[in-house]
Amino acid sequence: MLKVLDPGRWDFATAAHLLNRAGFGGTPDEIQRLVALGPAKAVSSLVDVERIPDPTPNPSWARPDPERLQRLAALRQASPEQRQQMQREEQQLQRERLLELRGWWLERMAKGPRPLQEKMTLFWHRHFATSFQKVRDAYYMWRQNDLFRRFGLGNWTRLLVEVGKDPAMLIWLDQAQSRRQHPNENFARELMELFTLGEGHYTEKDVTEAARALTGWSLNRQTQEFVYRRAFHDNGVKTILGRTGNFDGDDVIRILVAQPQAALFITAKLWTFFAGESPSPELNQALADVFRRNGNEFKPLLRALFLSEEFYSPHLIRQQVKSPVQWLAGSVRMLERDLPPAQVCANLLRTLGQDLFAPPNVKGWDEGFAWISTSTLLARYNYSALLAEGVMAAGEMANRPRAMAAGRRMANRARAGRTGAVDVRKILTDEERRDKTLLLGALQKRLLQSNLKPKQERALREYLESKGDLDDDEIRGAMRLIMSTPEYQLT
Amino acid sequence: MKTEPTLQTRREFLRSTVLTSALSWTVPGFLANTFASLQAQAADSATQIATGRDSTILVILQMAGGNDGLNTVVPFANDYYVKSRPRLALKGDQVLKLNDSLGLHPALTGFKELYDAGCMSIVQGVGYPNPNRSHFRSTEIWQTAADADRFEKYGWLGRYFDNACSGCDPTVAIHIGRQMPQAFTAKTPKGVSLENPQSYRFISSERGGGGEDMMEQSFREMNEADDAGNSGGSITAISGPGMEMRGSALDFLERTALDAQISSDTIRAVSARTQNRVTYPASQLSNSLRLVARLIGGGMPTRIYYVSQGGYDTHTNQPGTQERLLRDLGGAVQAFMNDMKAQGNLGRVLLMTFSEFGRRVAENANNGTDHGAAAPLFVFGGKVKPGLAGTHPSLAPEDLVNGDLKHTVDFRSVYAAVLEGWLKTPSEPVLGRRFEPLGLLV
Repeated sequence: MLKVLDPGRWDFATAAHLLNRAGFGGTPDEIQRLVALGPAKAVSSLVDVERIPDPTPNPSWARPDPERLQRLAALRQASPEQRQQMQREEQQLQRERLLELRGWWLERMAKGPRPLQEKMTLFWHRHFATSFQKVRDAYYMWRQNDLFRRFGLGNWTRLLVEVGKDPAMLIWLDQAQSRRQHPNENFARELMELFTLGEGHYTEKDVTEAARALTGWSLNRQTQEFVYRRAFHDNGVKTILGRTGNFDGDDVIRILVAQPQAALFITAKLWTFFAGESPSPELNQALADVFRRNGNEFKPLLRALFLSEEFYSPHLIRQQVKSPVQWLAGSVRMLERDLPPAQVCANLLRTLGQDLFAPPNVKGWDEGFAWISTSTLLARYNYSALLAEGVMAAGEMANRPRAMAAGRRMANRARAGRTGAVDVRKILTDEERRDKTLLLGALQKRLLQSNLKPKQERALREYLESKGDLDDDEIRGAMRLIMSTPEYQLT
Repeated sequence: MKTEPTLQTRREFLRSTVLTSALSWTVPGFLANTFASLQAQAADSATQIATGRDSTILVILQMAGGNDGLNTVVPFANDYYVKSRPRLALKGDQVLKLNDSLGLHPALTGFKELYDAGCMSIVQGVGYPNPNRSHFRSTEIWQTAADADRFEKYGWLGRYFDNACSGCDPTVAIHIGRQMPQAFTAKTPKGVSLENPQSYRFISSERGGGGEDMMEQSFREMNEADDAGNSGGSITAISGPGMEMRGSALDFLERTALDAQISSDTIRAVSARTQNRVTYPASQLSNSLRLVARLIGGGMPTRIYYVSQGGYDTHTNQPGTQERLLRDLGGAVQAFMNDMKAQGNLGRVLLMTFSEFGRRVAENANNGTDHGAAAPLFVFGGKVKPGLAGTHPSLAPEDLVNGDLKHTVDFRSVYAAVLEGWLKTPSEPVLGRRFEPLGLLV
């Protein structure tokens, strides 16, 4: 049984923990607002997303492309040179759209009104890790992302069926080409290993049998929609996890979700994602029970999770390594600044190891300590200059001319006082900017929701003292210094 | 050659930068022992561990995704091969022949030249019992040298660090890339990751110039793990019912911050003062090996380098993809080995490839191949026993296991050979039990 959080523990630290983990953090005012709401309403304000208007428009190209057919036909008829040229143009177009798509999603995470919905979308992107590198079509990638947003807080079976029939997934794990003569096992295997059960809870035979059942699930590249190809489907009898019948793809998913292990598997993953460490077997069972009792629906599970005593266990608070996306979106929220240009964000995330829409493999990104190496830690420290001060650390960009140009434009704008750097006057009061003790307190509360170690605070004070009367640049320098600590990498 | 410093100046350099740059700011308690022993070793010229000039170096090259071994070292004359792969089989007149029955993929001209020069060993049929066809699990098995049914917490190189390198500088192992390979996971973690030396530092945004850089100074102080924090409650292991003990996230971050600081000055200085002596092809793998060559040439005390190349998961339209990857691989490795030769370091360096598995013997319906089992791996260097090692697995249907080649060499026999013959350390404590070392080295 999950214990319910004692309302007496609801304060700035616990509310900040909720906002950091269920979303991407926020300003002291936003945290204060959650404190005032009390735990139940605070959690509801994040979980009940449909109550929050979300007017963000989709990218203009986020729809089936009626001219795609003609383009494909023209491609077939073109001479080899023309074809090469056309393929180059198509690739260029897709790359530009991918960049726009990355910026569009980051904007939703860093600025949007439904942080939990975006956090869950990020969870599902990692869970069903699909890469543009193979799909090569920005529309399909957007569509899968939109699917996670629409179904990611709903029913587990429904989500799995939607994902199984999703064009990007059909391409990514080769299901689109799987025929009864040669069933492709890629999707069937990952469906069991990575999506629903985990290793050791099925046999090789289950994989090959499920692959047979899944034949027929395919993609119509003309309509850009899922299609069931009768001629591809194996109509024979299959035996999957002890059940025998003439199964199809929907049956496979029903059989998998019915396994007790399926609830344990997905609730353990969710707990690990939100809490930052894997659950004990007892806690995992309690989470799985809540999930089962609520018909394998995610929203009641998340509500119970975010209201549980266990989630606010002191040893979890500020002990999770921020993912690069959390680091970027969270910094933008805490600093109340705009996102850097899309190209700069894309380079930043690639350098920090989390290229959105391009996970390293089907298992997605390794979380936690794996985000941090000497290389990525120094890169975080240097990119904090960009976010706080609007300046690009020079060496960081040495090998990336395009990003350098974008960074220079941003730095120029920062110098011109228009954008790029944090608006110090917006986030600090006059007193805080004048009084160094107040300033140190305000910066730590905003950026860490806790305190630096005394020695670190002394070093930061020395930096401020060396500057005499502070100008905005020097205050931004102090922000960058706080962001360039081990503590800032945790949430 | 005239720019190459003498052995003595190299040692001086390493001693002065590694030790003083670290000691110039307060060394926290948990590192004091490290530096004490380093100091002792640096002072003792007979100790080789801190002097990269003298000790052997291992470069690991990971071919991620599961390379199709049968189309890499091709049994072109084998009927089963030809029949199993109506579309994908490479023919005798296409391959770079090694003998009457085997040839290299036509894109591997770089490998062929190294083979002919006697600097390359091809270990055939490498795998392990009860092969796992999951990328992740099989990669993990290779990285941890575990049995297929057992989970090992630490990597095989991590166990080497724990056993043979206590007290080493973190740069005893360098990974070119972002995330540490699982093979480095250790009780006492070692090794640093970097992508390029220019950005491998804290870049102060202090303006104005002249005088001391206050930002840099404050940064350094704020990134020192102080003793109070270190022995205090915040660093105690997190534990709960059924959970394993581990250090806190903050502890881990503080240690990484420190490793970054210590290695940053050294690596940048070393890589900047060394030039590559050959031209490398343009690719990410080449860039990684080019940097490794500069670090070796500059005398880093590093024993292990780790680079990787991805993309070998060729379920569909394999020929074009594999051709591109192998051409890149062959060109990059050839340039690197030539660079080592030009530096006079060929005899000190061993480069070993691995991929998590080979692919099925039969091609699939999509002009590709699915996850399989045993495959060849490659070892390069001035001291390798050149030619073919091990025996090629049989392709006869009755010899296959679930359509896969049965391994003839356990990869841990290769690791054992490298550990004992090259890194000069007993292999049993690292590998958990005895594996007969393969005769790889002269």
